Amino acid sequence: MAFTSVTFLGFMVILVILYYMIPKKFQWILLLIGSYAFYLCGGVKTVIYLLLTTFSTYLAGIGLGSLNFKFKNLTSEEKKTIKAKIKKSKQRIVLAAALFNFGMLYMLKYWAFTAEVIKSSAGFALYVPNLLMPLGVSFYIFQSVGYVVDMYRGKYEAQRNFAKYALFVSFFPQIIQGPISRYNQLAPQLLGEHSVNWDQIKYGIQLAMWGYFKKLVIAERAGVFVNEVYGNTASYSGSMMAAATLGYCIQLYCDFSGGIDITRGAAQMLDIDMIQNFKRPIFARSLTDYWRRWHISLGQWMRDYLFYPLALSKGFTKMGGFARKHFRGTLGRIFATSLATFCIYFVIGIWHGANFRYITYGFYNGAIITASLLLEPTFAKIRKKLPINWKGAGWHFVQIARTCAIVFIGRYITRAPRLLTAFYMIKMSVTDFRLSSFTDGTLFAFGLSGFDYIVIGLGMAVVLAVETYQERGGEVRKTLEQKNPFVQWLAVIVPLLVIILLGAVDQGYVAAEFIYAQF
Amino acid sequence: MMNSKKWIVMFIITVLILPLLLAACNFTLNPFGVFGQDFLTWHSFSETLNPRVAKTEYLEEHHNEYDSYIIGCSSTSSYPVETLNKYLDADFYNLIMYGADMWDVEKTVEYINENYEVKNLVLNVYIDNGIHYNEGEDSLNDKLHYKVSGKSGAAFYIKYLFASVNYSFDKLSALRNDTELSKPFDVFDEKTGAYDKRARDIENIGDMGTYLESYPVFADYPPAAPDMGKISECMESVKVIKEICEKSGINLYVACAPVYAEYLQHFDSRQVKEFYTALAEVTPFYDFTYSSVSCEPRYFYDATHFRNAVGDMAAAYMFGDKSVYMPEDFGTYVTRENVSEHVKVYDNISIERQDDIYTDSVPVLMYHHIDENADSNSVVTPDNFESQIKALRDNGYTAVTLDDIYDYVYSGTDLPDKPVLITFDDGYASNYDIAFPILQKYGMKAVIFAVGSSVGKDTYKDTGIVIKPHFTYEQAKEMMDSSVISVQTHTYDMHQAQDYEDDEARTGAIMLTGESEQEFMAAMERDLTQAMNEMQSETGYEITALAYPNGEYSDLSQHVCRSMGIKATFTIEPRTNVLIKGLPQCLFGMGRYNVDDITGKELIAMIG
Repeated sequence: MAFTSVTFLGFMVILVILYYMIPKKFQWILLLIGSYAFYLCGGVKTVIYLLLTTFSTYLAGIGLGSLNFKFKNLTSEEKKTIKAKIKKSKQRIVLAAALFNFGMLYMLKYWAFTAEVIKSSAGFALYVPNLLMPLGVSFYIFQSVGYVVDMYRGKYEAQRNFAKYALFVSFFPQIIQGPISRYNQLAPQLLGEHSVNWDQIKYGIQLAMWGYFKKLVIAERAGVFVNEVYGNTASYSGSMMAAATLGYCIQLYCDFSGGIDITRGAAQMLDIDMIQNFKRPIFARSLTDYWRRWHISLGQWMRDYLFYPLALSKGFTKMGGFARKHFRGTLGRIFATSLATFCIYFVIGIWHGANFRYITYGFYNGAIITASLLLEPTFAKIRKKLPINWKGAGWHFVQIARTCAIVFIGRYITRAPRLLTAFYMIKMSVTDFRLSSFTDGTLFAFGLSGFDYIVIGLGMAVVLAVETYQERGGEVRKTLEQKNPFVQWLAVIVPLLVIILLGAVDQGYVAAEFIYAQF
Repeated sequence: MMNSKKWIVMFIITVLILPLLLAACNFTLNPFGVFGQDFLTWHSFSETLNPRVAKTEYLEEHHNEYDSYIIGCSSTSSYPVETLNKYLDADFYNLIMYGADMWDVEKTVEYINENYEVKNLVLNVYIDNGIHYNEGEDSLNDKLHYKVSGKSGAAFYIKYLFASVNYSFDKLSALRNDTELSKPFDVFDEKTGAYDKRARDIENIGDMGTYLESYPVFADYPPAAPDMGKISECMESVKVIKEICEKSGINLYVACAPVYAEYLQHFDSRQVKEFYTALAEVTPFYDFTYSSVSCEPRYFYDATHFRNAVGDMAAAYMFGDKSVYMPEDFGTYVTRENVSEHVKVYDNISIERQDDIYTDSVPVLMYHHIDENADSNSVVTPDNFESQIKALRDNGYTAVTLDDIYDYVYSGTDLPDKPVLITFDDGYASNYDIAFPILQKYGMKAVIFAVGSSVGKDTYKDTGIVIKPHFTYEQAKEMMDSSVISVQTHTYDMHQAQDYEDDEARTGAIMLTGESEQEFMAAMERDLTQAMNEMQSETGYEITALAYPNGEYSDLSQHVCRSMGIKATFTIEPRTNVLIKGLPQCLFGMGRYNVDDITGKELIAMIG
């Protein structure tokens, strides 16, 4: 059930009405039923993976919970003796749960790629089962494993009720594309009782509308152009490739953040606040800052469940000591951290998918961030010497532009059909940049009219205006509340008309010219 | 200020109002033409969106103007109703519905028979009817009118009431961009019900290379794997139609449309034979499916639709008109008795073209003035002119007349070897004084396109400004009586000289600045009428050909010429013309070589 389908809208209307009508203690049950209904609409067979993840991490949680409990009730004398033993058992449980789930993810997402690489390098073929990819598999596995690690750390009590735990894993608005939530943040809300909160419903509707606007009006249009150029790289000039990559930046941001806004809006209508996943990445001043603003929940997950364990692991601590002894200055001091950082971004890259492009993408991000970490002292020295106002708007702008450029180049890598094509396109964008291809009508050969480009441009202008306002601390929905009813009504009817007329109206519509062309 | 509860109420009301707005918009602008009101009714637009529904609505009001129908899928359009009217003395309406399957046709025939007067019914059975049956009822663009299909009226109206608002927007933008000739949004001719092919039927068709450039689909024909799985359903419907006609005393004519050979090749020949055999079991029919016409892309508008000119051939075959050209292998009357013999033709579909049989090349020469002082490229000295004409004769060229090329195209009468058409523009006295005797001397013939307003004059219209002298109508008549020369028109007064005019001069058959299409057409019709009438009254000869002043013309001027009965138009585009039997439009927009003051030898080299 796609967010953009009429079915989903109907589903939401019915769900919200029922949610607030039934006795509050049953609300979570309704959410569970709704979530599974939603998931089953996407395919019946793949629900088995969801159940496997739910069940395995549920068991791990219970196991860890009882060990935590046992540990807490030990006398201080006993603690000394059995501590190591309990810790070992807990580690085994975490390891088993993680291996099982990531193993499953690996088989589903990365095995075919591995087999292909082995076949081309070692020359023998491995069996590749033809598996259906379950919707949102990377998201719910990360979320559940996060829960298991939290349990290992003794952060909270285990959820003993399987159905309640299953709701945490499968909560419908987020299961497709995140955000990757934390148990202690989300579960209490899912399981709590909610009275009608008109504010929340209103905010939810508004947020979802904003998401639909970005997704349907901007992203879908930009996608037409992007797909055409990236699908026929041989036919276009370098400048078109650069333009298409810019288009892809726009498409990806509007599609992903729009989808998350719909997710969060839908949850908010149910009086459930989900964590933010995007914080205006366009204003990022460095690549590190960008990853704090783009797909935040993934970055945080990596930080909490991969970076810290890695950086604090024995091997890394030893390596750090070694580096301090053998490398002079900064390098010695931050060597281990930098290596861990590099690993994280490398993994983030691979998380996106299995192929050389994403591996390169991970490498690209890791390398730039690590390099900037290592070079920071040098930059600091240079900054002192140059007579520039390093706090002024001018430098901020340069930083933002620099980050945009880095992200922009990264997009070639993730969007191109093959890694070599990405390099070719980057090269062409420089060597074959012809302004004439913007004026010779090429732009109108993709199925987009001048009007469509204006819609994309104006749409992005609105997005940027709103985000600038937010970046300065403004709260759009709160500000809107203060306006007079007519303005508030305009703020409903105009976006609705824009979404319907410029976003949704083409569904099921066949233009006369098209009919004529095919008769 | 407004609290959130009120906001949500406001939101819900707004959301509910939107569908009402949509319904109001669809009802008012009525893109599919189903809501019956007169305001903004545009049949051609609605028929383009859905011919089934919109034509039913159209006939609701206009059925009294018709007593006969031709029906079927899109190839049905190409049997011209004018031709059928002529042969059957009837008033035909073309009920072509693109993509129609035999279920659509059966339902529609049932409906018109019950509700309207029907004398004749021409049923076009296309080969595709064996592939599809009863499809598209759930689509806005393909469904039948509920009155025809007998389904729920409420569901029907709801569907169109809540159709995408884009259709209404399209109608508004189409209203703004509408032109006299058809655009992709109004492809139907309201009155006849057929596709409006006015523009397509005057486009110049000549050599194959140019045609394939304009219609690349024929150069690289798309592959297909059609499966005729619906033959029995289709024939059941044909049977029902035949029974309706027998019961109601309707004359039924069944014809199978010409199919482009490369398309036909993709079919399974067993199924094709089964299809025609099954049809013959139900009714006798005229089969035009495969003939030498099928192998010639120039007889087709596109990958699947044959041209109106071929439709004329088919009608002539069906009603025994021998005056119209058609290839010998074109058409068979198939009955239960001869079908088994006939379908053998489908065992071996060849796509080989033998176009030397039905095409011929004719270079057209363009002269203006003959004078000792050849000071421009439109003047030839008398000596060189004579040497040119002599060289033509000595090299075996035959100067053909307009009638010769008309006969070739309309009746298929072959031209002599090495034909050439000699033409003169403007109607200078030198044509009479010098060219006429030389042509006579060498037994050659020519056409002169005279400007009506300057016949017999040596001054520019009423200005007194001296221009080259022009021959008179008496001289024109004398030349025509000799049958050496045919005097035709170079327009009456659309060859103005800007230097001598106060307002913007009309220097060719194109629109002036700020002139509307209607104004232009009216002006050109007036101009041609005057030229034709004056020629008729002064000489008794009819005008059938026109050369465009300065070679300036457009689709619109070509259309005006055709509608006024002009059979050939000439440009100044330097190319040889390829004439095609049975395709009169190859005479529109013919190319001509300007002949400079060169020797006869040089001329032969130029056209050879």
